[in-house]
Amino acid sequence: MAGKTIVVTSGKGGVGKTTTVANLGTTLAKKKYSVVMVDTDIGLRNLDVVMGLENRIVYNLVDVIEGKCRKEQAMIRDRKLPNLFMIPAAQTREKSSVTPEQMKELCSNLAAEFDYVLIDCPAGIEQGFKNAIAGADFAVVVTTPEVSAIRDADRVIGLLEAAMLKQISLIINRLNAKMVKRGDMMSTEDIISLLSVPLLGVVPESEEVVVSTNRGVPLVHDRTSKAGAAFRQIASRLNGDSLPQDGDGADGFFSRVKRLIWN
Amino acid sequence: MLSILRRFLGDRSSGQIARKRMQFVLMHDRVDITPDMMEAVKNDIIKVLSRYMEIDNRSIKVNLEQGEDFMALISNVQIKRVYRHAH
Repeated sequence: MAGKTIVVTSGKGGVGKTTTVANLGTTLAKKKYSVVMVDTDIGLRNLDVVMGLENRIVYNLVDVIEGKCRKEQAMIRDRKLPNLFMIPAAQTREKSSVTPEQMKELCSNLAAEFDYVLIDCPAGIEQGFKNAIAGADFAVVVTTPEVSAIRDADRVIGLLEAAMLKQISLIINRLNAKMVKRGDMMSTEDIISLLSVPLLGVVPESEEVVVSTNRGVPLVHDRTSKAGAAFRQIASRLNGDSLPQDGDGADGFFSRVKRLIWN
Repeated sequence: MLSILRRFLGDRSSGQIARKRMQFVLMHDRVDITPDMMEAVKNDIIKVLSRYMEIDNRSIKVNLEQGEDFMALISNVQIKRVYRHAH
């Protein structure tokens, strides 16, 4: 059985790639799938702090690739979910210490053992990006409703298409419904028509995200969070589940938008 | 209320402005045509047309436009008069 290998990427930094990986990984693991998340942002790792696992790191991605340890030794088990693992990036190495071929091999080894391999891609479109996408079959592009993020997302989508990934889909993060209503933010429809890739979901702008990263506990653990509910829906869609149209938390504007896109 | 008034006075909302700007920017990014190259295209169009007609060099506009599944180069040229013979 080979699992799905999905790279989460964006081009621009700071749009929520790592938060997305942490929340999707956690949700899929809660659904009883075996999941491993790989932080490929060598030199600027962050998935460990977002997951609250920064104290447990012994080995990292580069150690695995250089054969200094077995991949099992670098995998850190989540504090709550026994079927969720993370491989941290190296903090004091160069991006060039990994090649796309090595990543490809690692990803296929991981996909043989896990249902989901989620790859947290670094910002930019250079070596680190090429490494991150090398072993992936699917790509999730994260953007925010801002011109700089959208432009970079478009560049990245072009590169992913050229790299012949099986499927590319979009997450719009930090949408502020009030601003959209007022006409002071591009709407979901605007962004979809600009980027022309299928929408996986929309995450509302929320202070809860900052609080959850402060604590090192992914938002999806909190049943009352709207942004968490959005991530749970996205994870379900990623898993190919028939789409729950509102269910937990996504109401009013968001569910209307989603219905418009998905039906 | 203010925004309604603003729009009534013909001001576009910033979201709309952003969408229009992005349409333009992404189109250029995708086809990889720089503004310099567009200027060169424009000058060449002027050069070719000028052999057959007198045109208003300042009025000429060359734009890329995005259709549903195609891209078009649209040029608008004001003709002053057409020569009887090509120059």
